[in-house]
Amino acid sequence: MMEIAGEQIRSAAPAMGEDNGVSPAERRDRQERRTALMLISPGVLWMTLFMVLPMIMVVYVSFWTQTTFTVEPKLTTDSWVRFLTSSTYLASTWTTVRIWGIVLLSTLLIGYPVALFIGLMVRNQTLQTALLVICVIPFWTSFLIRVIAWRPMLGTEGAINMILMKLGIIDTPLTSLLFSEFAVLIGMTQIYCVFMVGPITFMLSRIEPSIIEAARDLGAGFGRIFFKIILPLSLPGVIVGAIFVSVMVLGEFATAASLSGRKVNLLGNIIVSQVGSLKWAFASVAGVILTVIIAVVITALLRVVNLRKEM
Amino acid sequence: MLSLSSVTKRYGDVTALDRLSVNVPDDSYVSLLGASGSGKTTLLRVIAGFEEPDGGKVIYDGHRLDGVAPHRRGIGFVFQNFALFPHLSVADNVAFGLRYREEEPVTDPSELKARVADAIRLVGLEGLEARKVTAISGGQRQRVALARTLVTEPRFVLLDEPLGALDANLRERMCDELRAIRERLKVTFLHVTGSETEALLMGDVVAVLSAGSIAQVGPASSLFALPKSADVARHLNAYNVLSGRVVKGGFEGAGARFALPGKQAASDGAPIEVALRFDRISVRPAGATAADPAGEAAIRARFIASEFTGASVLSFFRLEDGTLIQVVAHLSGPAPQAFTKDELYELSFNPQDVIPFIERAA
Repeated sequence: MMEIAGEQIRSAAPAMGEDNGVSPAERRDRQERRTALMLISPGVLWMTLFMVLPMIMVVYVSFWTQTTFTVEPKLTTDSWVRFLTSSTYLASTWTTVRIWGIVLLSTLLIGYPVALFIGLMVRNQTLQTALLVICVIPFWTSFLIRVIAWRPMLGTEGAINMILMKLGIIDTPLTSLLFSEFAVLIGMTQIYCVFMVGPITFMLSRIEPSIIEAARDLGAGFGRIFFKIILPLSLPGVIVGAIFVSVMVLGEFATAASLSGRKVNLLGNIIVSQVGSLKWAFASVAGVILTVIIAVVITALLRVVNLRKEM
Repeated sequence: MLSLSSVTKRYGDVTALDRLSVNVPDDSYVSLLGASGSGKTTLLRVIAGFEEPDGGKVIYDGHRLDGVAPHRRGIGFVFQNFALFPHLSVADNVAFGLRYREEEPVTDPSELKARVADAIRLVGLEGLEARKVTAISGGQRQRVALARTLVTEPRFVLLDEPLGALDANLRERMCDELRAIRERLKVTFLHVTGSETEALLMGDVVAVLSAGSIAQVGPASSLFALPKSADVARHLNAYNVLSGRVVKGGFEGAGARFALPGKQAASDGAPIEVALRFDRISVRPAGATAADPAGEAAIRARFIASEFTGASVLSFFRLEDGTLIQVVAHLSGPAPQAFTKDELYELSFNPQDVIPFIERAA
């Protein structure tokens, strides 16, 4: 019986396909590999042409020789030496990192309670979505308008000063509100907060209400439940939000340019002004340094949580 | 002893608990039987403190429980979906209550370790302490949930359909273990279930919850033998309920007429419901006027279908007025008859086996 069945299968196989000796499992593996390759190739092509090659180019250009109006492909470390020995540029690197840190913290401190409310307190999904949309409403206007709108708010004769004067809290208008680092921090926090709220809300809304009830039933108070259950379970959201905010804040220049009155110079501002005066080699140095900082920050954040396991 | 008196809970227009009163004695296994939507889960949530009642009192050993925050009630809750902490290991899940509770947390690491180990041994999970709870089977999760609650030594444990998520084999084993664990710890288990077999098997005392209040409480065997109302009889899934009227001290309706056991105080014409156990009915072809044993009553019904369940056959018949009648034939007896679909049969039974419910219908 077995013999006969084996015979039949062997005689049927060549008739079905030309590739002799290939098992169906192997054939399917090959098919799947072909499909995977087809799916991934547009992305790989795009990234190679518009990211990997330009980045190699930027590193290369940072070693070119810069004269007042031209840049020549003659290799030198002049631009690097100038950047690394100048207190102005090192200071602006430090400012970039400091502002990134403060904005990251403030978006987290403001964003987390909002996410806690939307993701955990509101259990109606329609209402959850509606509230998230409300958070995004400022994005219906352009980025620049959102930034510039802070001027009439924070200015010497702006809304905040007017209200404080009317209430009699201050006699003379506060001049440090606008065109200061404070203004840049306020502006950035407002713009990037929503990128923190979104991912955290998503993670919080996935927490089963019964898990929190179980923790209460076991005798834990609110603080314990928050730090031992809610926070760890929402940590992947915090990390994703932090990556969004970090990437955007570290590369920022517009908010600083329009709200700081040139008092705050971020690496982004340096790149813009150097490119403006055709100092390509020097702009490239700043660009490479900025890219390295962003890479370090993202790597560090990803170390905190294994996102692949959580998603 | 836990006692609830006149507890009412409403959600908008829906009354989930309607002036519910019940006493749950200490050191006992009480099962609470109710259909879905009968308010079972609401009742447990009110006792645990996740919901506050709109009216009535929850009293435990003389102290009011309603109004007390859930984490200060000292009542254990085992959730239907287990509600384990997904980011913690088995041992950390079990240790959670002892380690982080607000009142008298266990701070001594060696004591904590010993008590967690005890609880894990109690439910038979040795060797899995370091596993993530996402990496163990459903039955093992159920045990973690149980150990996590029991380790905090509550005197009163609420189990919300604890076996619902397990497959049949595992369910039977867990039933035995739950009873054994409870007897060892001398605590009270209030086990909520929608399955009448589970309720009767588990409970020293069975309470039937119907439409937001307790319809009957009693030992499993007496509750099964003598349901107090048609509603309870329906919940037990072992009784056919017929409705009709009282005529000359007997029952008339659904195409049948028979004398009722005992003396009926109801006047003629009063509506009445009667319950008749599935396994107290015998079937014979209609028209075959076999000698009627003295006092037997009979109803004519059409055969619909049979279900073979292993040890018995469950047959469905429909009366002329549309009422569905179920008949159980145990296969240990003589070989069961084969019925023909849509044929008329005569269902006969001893009227002494019928349980009348007049007071309810009146």
